[in-house]
Amino acid sequence: MAKFIIKRLLYSVLILFFVMFLIYVLMYNMPTSFVETKARELASRPGATKSYTEWLADLNAQYGMDKGVVQGYFVWLSSAVRGNWGDSWQWTVPVLEKFNNTVWYSFALGLVSFIFEVIIAIPLGITAAKKQYSFTDYFTTVVAMVSISLPTFFLATLLKYVFAVKLGWVDLTGMQGRDYQFLSTFGKFLDLAKHFALPAVTLTVIGIGSLMRYTRTNMLEVLNSDYIRTARAKGVPEKKVIGKHAFRNTLIPLVTMLGGMLPGLFSGALITETLFGIRGIGYASYYSMTQADIPFIMFYLAFISVLTLLGNLISDLLYAAVDPRVRLS
Amino acid sequence: MASYNLNEILKAKAGKGDKQGTVGLDDVARVKVLSPGRQVFKRFIRNRLAVFGSVLLIIMFVFSFLGPLFYHCGQKEIFYKYDSQNINYGLAKEITSYTGYNVSSDISVPRSATTSVNSVAKSLIAADEDSAIIATDDGSFLLNRVNDDVFVLASVNASKIASVGEGSALVGVYDMVGGKISFTGQEIEGLLEALTKNFSRTGGSFTYEGVRYTYEKDVAKSYNIYSELDGVVLFDNSLPEAFADAFEKAADKKAYSFTAGGKTYYIVETNSGFDAYSASGEKTAMVYTRYTFNAITTDVKISDSLKANTLLHITDGKSFDVDGTSYKVGESEGLIILKDGDGKEIAELSTFSVKRYSGEDSIEYDLKKEIEELVLEMSENGEKTRTLVYDLPYQDENGLYVYDEEGNLQYSQAELTITKRDTGEYVINCDQVIYVIDMFAFSSKEHILGTDGDGFDVLARVMYGGRVSLMVGFVVVFLEIILGVIMGGLAGYYGGWVDNLIMRLVDIFYCLPSLPIMIILGATMDSLRMDTYLRLVIMMATLGFLGWAGVARMVRGQILSLREQEFMVAAEATGIRVRKRIFRHLIPNVMPQLIVIATMGMGSVILTESTLSFLGLGVKHPLATWGTIINSVSSATAMAHYQHIWIPVGLLICLTVIAFNFVGDGLRDAYDPKSKR
Repeated sequence: MAKFIIKRLLYSVLILFFVMFLIYVLMYNMPTSFVETKARELASRPGATKSYTEWLADLNAQYGMDKGVVQGYFVWLSSAVRGNWGDSWQWTVPVLEKFNNTVWYSFALGLVSFIFEVIIAIPLGITAAKKQYSFTDYFTTVVAMVSISLPTFFLATLLKYVFAVKLGWVDLTGMQGRDYQFLSTFGKFLDLAKHFALPAVTLTVIGIGSLMRYTRTNMLEVLNSDYIRTARAKGVPEKKVIGKHAFRNTLIPLVTMLGGMLPGLFSGALITETLFGIRGIGYASYYSMTQADIPFIMFYLAFISVLTLLGNLISDLLYAAVDPRVRLS
Repeated sequence: MASYNLNEILKAKAGKGDKQGTVGLDDVARVKVLSPGRQVFKRFIRNRLAVFGSVLLIIMFVFSFLGPLFYHCGQKEIFYKYDSQNINYGLAKEITSYTGYNVSSDISVPRSATTSVNSVAKSLIAADEDSAIIATDDGSFLLNRVNDDVFVLASVNASKIASVGEGSALVGVYDMVGGKISFTGQEIEGLLEALTKNFSRTGGSFTYEGVRYTYEKDVAKSYNIYSELDGVVLFDNSLPEAFADAFEKAADKKAYSFTAGGKTYYIVETNSGFDAYSASGEKTAMVYTRYTFNAITTDVKISDSLKANTLLHITDGKSFDVDGTSYKVGESEGLIILKDGDGKEIAELSTFSVKRYSGEDSIEYDLKKEIEELVLEMSENGEKTRTLVYDLPYQDENGLYVYDEEGNLQYSQAELTITKRDTGEYVINCDQVIYVIDMFAFSSKEHILGTDGDGFDVLARVMYGGRVSLMVGFVVVFLEIILGVIMGGLAGYYGGWVDNLIMRLVDIFYCLPSLPIMIILGATMDSLRMDTYLRLVIMMATLGFLGWAGVARMVRGQILSLREQEFMVAAEATGIRVRKRIFRHLIPNVMPQLIVIATMGMGSVILTESTLSFLGLGVKHPLATWGTIINSVSSATAMAHYQHIWIPVGLLICLTVIAFNFVGDGLRDAYDPKSKR
C-alpha cells in the first residue's frame, strides 16, 4: 500500500512537471507586450525606484523570460518549489496572501453545494434505479440531463433575473450587504449566507445531474447482479435488499467518486463566482487571467493541477480501501 | 460465396403473392432477420427520449442552416427606423440691436467704436437727434441717423475745442516744509501766495483769479490742491462769440450736437463734464441697421456689400450698382423691398427676424411672413402659444434636403408650434423625422424577436449563431476524434513503450485545465485585437487539441481488447499490412463508441463555446453565436428589460445540448443494450 502510494505520488509529480511545463510554454509565448505593459505601469507609479528598462529586465528575469523556454522553466520552477510565487500584478499583494484571502470563500461555497448535491442526487438516483422505466425514472433522467446541459452562465443569469431583479430577495452581485460593517457577528454570517445562496443553488443544480446519473447507473448494475437475485429468491424483504445488499455495493463507486471530488472543493467556481461577484479563488483567477497577471495565473493553474492529481489519487486509494476485492499493485 | 439476403427473399416471396403460406419449418425465409444497422435503428427509435432528441436536433439544424435562407434579415445587417423628434425649428423675434456692415474696406473701425454704436444709436433715438460723435483713442467717428433703423458710421477728423463741467482737477501738491507747490500741469503764478495767506493745517479752500481751489492733507506736511471747474473752458480762441453760450446750453440739455455760427459741433459726455468737438472730413465707414434681409427669391445671394449699399440708399430712392448689377430699394405696400434693375423682388427689409434655431439654413419667405403675422396676432391678443400647419422641406438623416428625380424639393406637412418665451422671443417647434438605428426594438412583424443593442435582428442572429455554434461543435469534435483515434490506435495496437508514452501524454492532457487556458487565450487574442474569424479558427483548434485525451483513452481500451480477438489473429495471418489492420479492421469496430462519444462531445463543446462567448473571450462581435447574443444583453439593466432576447437563446443552447446528450445516450443503448449508462 505504502509502496503504491509513493509510486503514485512520484508519478503525479512527474505529470505535474510536464503539465506546468506546457502551461509555462503557453505563458512564455504570450505576447511580450503584457510584460512590457506591466513594466511601464510599474515604472510610472509614484515613487517608482526603477526605470522602465530596469523593470522590464527585472520582470523577465523573475519569470525566466530572458532565457530559453526550458531554462526559463527551471528558473521559475526552482523559485516556485521554494514557495516563492511572487506578487500578483492584478491584486498587488503576494500571490499566497491573495490565495489565502480568497480560497476559503470558495471552499465554503463548494462545500455547501457539495453537501446539497449529495443529499439530493444520491436518493433520487437510487429511487430512479429501483423503478426503472417508471415515471420517476424518466423524470430523474430528464432532470439529470437538463442539469448537465444547462450552461452555468444561463442558469446564473436566470436565477439573478428571478430572485434579484424580479423578486428582489437578494442582491444582484457581491457577497456583502450595504450595511455589512454595522452588523453583529451573527448578522454578518447571515448576510454572507444570503449572498452565497444563489451561487450555491447554481453550483448544486449544475452538479446534481452527473452524480444522479452515476448513482442510477451503478445502482442498476448492482440490482442486476446475481447476489441481488439470490437475496430476492431466498425471500429477503425488498427494503432490506435495496437498503442493505444493493446500496452498500453501490457505495463503492460512489465513495470513490465523491472522494475524488473533495480536492476540487478548493478549486473555486470560475464562472459562478465571477457572475455573482463572490470574491473566491475563481473570481480572483478569472480577473487575473483576463488581465494577464502571470504570477497569479501560474500559481492558480499549478494549484488546480495539483488538485486534479490529488483527486485521482484519492479516488484510487478509496477504491482500494472500500472494496476488499481490489488489490493495489 | 453467393450473396444471400433473407430479407430480399422474403420480399420476393411477398411480391409473388404467395399467400398459401406454405413455409416449411426448415425454410430459411421463415425467420425475419434484421441487419445489425437496422437492429440498432429499431432499438434507437424505441427510446422515446432519444427520438425526442433527434427531432430537436433536426429542427435545430433546419432552423440554423436553412432558416437564414428564408429569412429576410442578415447576420450583420443593421436596421434603422424613422423616428420623430420634437425639435426647436426656428426662432422669431423683433430685432433690437444694430448690426454693422462695412461700406469701405479702407477704413478700419476700432472695436471701442463698434461696441458703443448700439448704445449711442439708442440714445440718439431717445433724444430725437440726428448725429453724435464717438471719440476713441484710435480715431473719432460720427454716427448719423438715417432713420430709426439705419445709422451710418463715418470716420471724421475731430478736435476737442472746449470743455465744460463741474468737478475738480488736481492742480498740484503743496509741500509745507519746502514751502512750494509742484504743479501737475501748467504753473499758476501767485497760487502759492494765495494758498499760504490763509493756510489751515486741516485743509480748506480759497479763491484765486475767479477759480475756487480746495486743498486737503494727503501725507504728513503735504497737501493736494484741487481746482474746482465751473463753466466753459475754451481751447481755441478763434471760436465765435456765441459758441460758449450755445455750448453751455447744449451741455445743460445733454444734447449730442449744437450749432454755433452756422457750424455744427458735437458734444461728448466725460466724467467731469462735457467736451465739445468740431468735426470735418466725413468718410462713410460702416452702416448699422436693425433690418434683416428676408430673401424673397433664392436665386440671388445677398452679399454684405449689397446689404450695405441698400441701406445707404434706403431713403433716397435712387438706383445703385453693386458688382455690375443695378438695384433699387423702396417702399411698397408698407414693406421695404429690395428690387433688381428689372423690378424683380429680391428681399424684404424687416425688423422682425425669423430664422432657424441652429442657424444652419434659412426659412422660406412665405413661412416667415406667416409666422410674423401670427406673432403679431399673438402679441395683440396676449396669447402664449399658437400652432400652424405648413409644408416644410423634408430632411433626411443628415439634415440634408431631399429632392425628387426632377430636382424638386420634397415637402412634408408639419405642425409648427409657436411659443412665446419670457425673453420676448418666439420659439417655433415642430416634429422632425429623423433616421436612427432601431435599437432594442420589441417584437414586430418585421423583426419577430425584435432587435438588439446594435440594431441587428435577433432572430437572424439566433439562426446564424446556431450555425456557428453547431459548426464549432462539429469541427472540434472532428479534430478530437481524429487526434484521439490516431493516438489511441497507435497506443493500443503497438503497446509497449509507444503505449506508455502516449498514455502519459493522455494523463498530462487530462490534467491540463482547459477552461482557464481558453480564457487566457481569449484574453491574449483580445489584446492582439485579432480578427473574429481567425479567433474562431484558433479557438476551435485549441479546443480540439485539448480534448483528444478522452477519445484516445477509450480507443486504446477498445483496441486492446479487440486485438486479442480471433478476427485480428486472422487478419494477421493473412498478412494484411499494419496500417490496414488498424484502420480497416480495428477502428471500424470502435465506431459505435466513437459515434456515442462524438455525439456527447458535441454537446459539451457547444457549452464551452457559448460560455467563452458569453464571457466575451470566444467568438466576437459582429459574428453571432448564442453566447455572444446573451452577452450583449447581460448587463443588469438590459437583463431586466430584454428577457425576450436572452431567455429564448439560453433555452436554445440548453435544448441543443440536451438533444445531443439524449441522442448520444440513445445510441449507446442501441448499440449495446448491456453497456453501462
